[in-house]
Amino acid sequence: MSALSEPIISGHGINFAFGEGELRKQILFDVGLQIQPGEIVLLTGPSGSGKTTLLTLIAGLRTMQEGELTVLGHALHRTTQQDLLELRRKIGFIFQAHNLLPYLTALQNVQVMFNLHPEVSAKEGRERAVEMLQQVGLGDRLRYPISRLSGGQRQRVAVARALVSEPQLVLADEPTSALDSMTGREVVSQLQSLAKQFHRPILMVTHDPRILDVADRVISMQDGHLTTAAKNAPAMAQIERGA
Amino acid sequence: MGQGIPLSWLQLKHEKMKLFAAVSGVTVSVTLMWMQLGLMKALFASAVVFHGSLNGQLVVIHSQYEHLIHSMPFSSRLLYRLRGSNDVVDVLAIAMQPMEWKNPWNGETRAMQCYGVDTDTPVVKLPGFPEQVHLLRQSDVFLFDRKGRPRFGEVAEAWELGQSIEPELNRRRMTLKGMIDLGASFGIDGSIFVSHANFLRLFPSRRPGEIDVGVVQLRPGVSILSAQRQFQAMLGSEVKVLTIDEFIDVELSYWRSATPIGIVFSAGTVVGFFIGFIVVYQILYTDVTNHLPQYATLMAMGFSHGFLTRLVLQQSFQLAMLGFIPGSLIAALLYAGLREVTLLPLYMEFGRAIGLCIVTVFMCMFSGMLAIRKLRTADPANVF
Repeated sequence: MSALSEPIISGHGINFAFGEGELRKQILFDVGLQIQPGEIVLLTGPSGSGKTTLLTLIAGLRTMQEGELTVLGHALHRTTQQDLLELRRKIGFIFQAHNLLPYLTALQNVQVMFNLHPEVSAKEGRERAVEMLQQVGLGDRLRYPISRLSGGQRQRVAVARALVSEPQLVLADEPTSALDSMTGREVVSQLQSLAKQFHRPILMVTHDPRILDVADRVISMQDGHLTTAAKNAPAMAQIERGA
Repeated sequence: MGQGIPLSWLQLKHEKMKLFAAVSGVTVSVTLMWMQLGLMKALFASAVVFHGSLNGQLVVIHSQYEHLIHSMPFSSRLLYRLRGSNDVVDVLAIAMQPMEWKNPWNGETRAMQCYGVDTDTPVVKLPGFPEQVHLLRQSDVFLFDRKGRPRFGEVAEAWELGQSIEPELNRRRMTLKGMIDLGASFGIDGSIFVSHANFLRLFPSRRPGEIDVGVVQLRPGVSILSAQRQFQAMLGSEVKVLTIDEFIDVELSYWRSATPIGIVFSAGTVVGFFIGFIVVYQILYTDVTNHLPQYATLMAMGFSHGFLTRLVLQQSFQLAMLGFIPGSLIAALLYAGLREVTLLPLYMEFGRAIGLCIVTVFMCMFSGMLAIRKLRTADPANVF
């Protein structure tokens, strides 16, 4: 198996700026990165360093300005809105706040993702959603409305939602920031073990130092520049060997 | 939706108070539209019950005839000419004029419509009339419309008890001989029927042989339209020969043009529509605004703009249905109550229900379409 032959994310020379003319503020400077299948990568850096902007570019939520970026085979520097939508359907998202639909139960919040996959029947969608919620330890909370779940439980529902439709990539934005340290740690460990189990790559933006150890690799950003490409070298080497 | 999760409905009923407010808005709007349309229809319908009951196929009126209480008499000799036609079975004459009714219980005077009719053949097919028309042959007797407004005294009640009723009509004592059903309209509170001879006694100023409406009974199989053309040519331009439907139209177009009734009720209907429209728009607009973060999340996860548009339009449709049903039920109750009080023929018709239902759905969908424009401001990049 040659893990490096087809990177999940491959970008180089990415520049990005908000505003025009006098007000133009460049956020990303000549950013390049590669993420391999099955890799868990943490993107850290102080706030305002541009990490969330990079994440939204990779997610296909912003239009590329300069440079090249290919995610899951979609060349984002030359693409259409419809293509971006299709890319996003292959990605599992986890947000800072859980962003669950408050009028649905835990189960419905997970199952609703299959509305994007018409080939999955309601019965199958339900079964897979139940299974995924059992995996995150919420098998006994299936019918709970979101308002009756704790913060950690909500974020675990969000994890289940992100993973249920077998995404080829998981993007997470500060998934622990709304949680206390213990709960945050638990949720991320769960996410890590599920990702490893199903061989899903994760790119996670965080500045929570307590969860850095779940990563195969940590990238830091400073003022729009990537400063460290491979902090967690042993883990990286392991992946490159195809382990 | 594919997964059997009724997203739109679950979202709609999540906030009960907002749902209640939206449904109330639609309900009020639907009730209002029912009332306006129903009253307009009923007022117009009540104005032509008499016309619709005429026992013939063609009507002859003076060319300056305006409506039932503003007629122009013409000589009945014109009608004799029609009797000679092979196509005609009989020609009946009606004389009519408003008169004064003096309430026998409290002495109050009220205006009432008086019809002078032939006593051999019933000229109208109103309930009770054909069976009792021969009673009118005696002098100073009349038949009374018990469906008229109750301002003429407790005539029907007294009649039921077998009391004799002899009120003063145009200062002449007359005797009640029977009850018929016609009904009040907005021009006429009540009606009585008398013979031509008694009519002349009540209205001494009327010249004998002057009538207001001629009713022509055609031989079966004769073409109404060709007979109409033929008779019009025969009688000249002093009178008009009309079919029953045309006669009804003359009456209706008078009330439509000479009174603001049509405009008032049409405007009321439009007001009802806009109340619903604005309430639903406000609710849906705030609803979309409040849900923007959720919609942005869904869009970020790959749900299309079209999916969210359908979500909002489904809610519009659900609001339309939830408001239409109670709105129609309330209107039905009000109809029943008003029928009782005003004696107007207020009824719900299936066709009108379908029409109003479509209007209600349109109203809600249109509000939904406008509210959806707010969706464009949902930027999925902002969820990070």
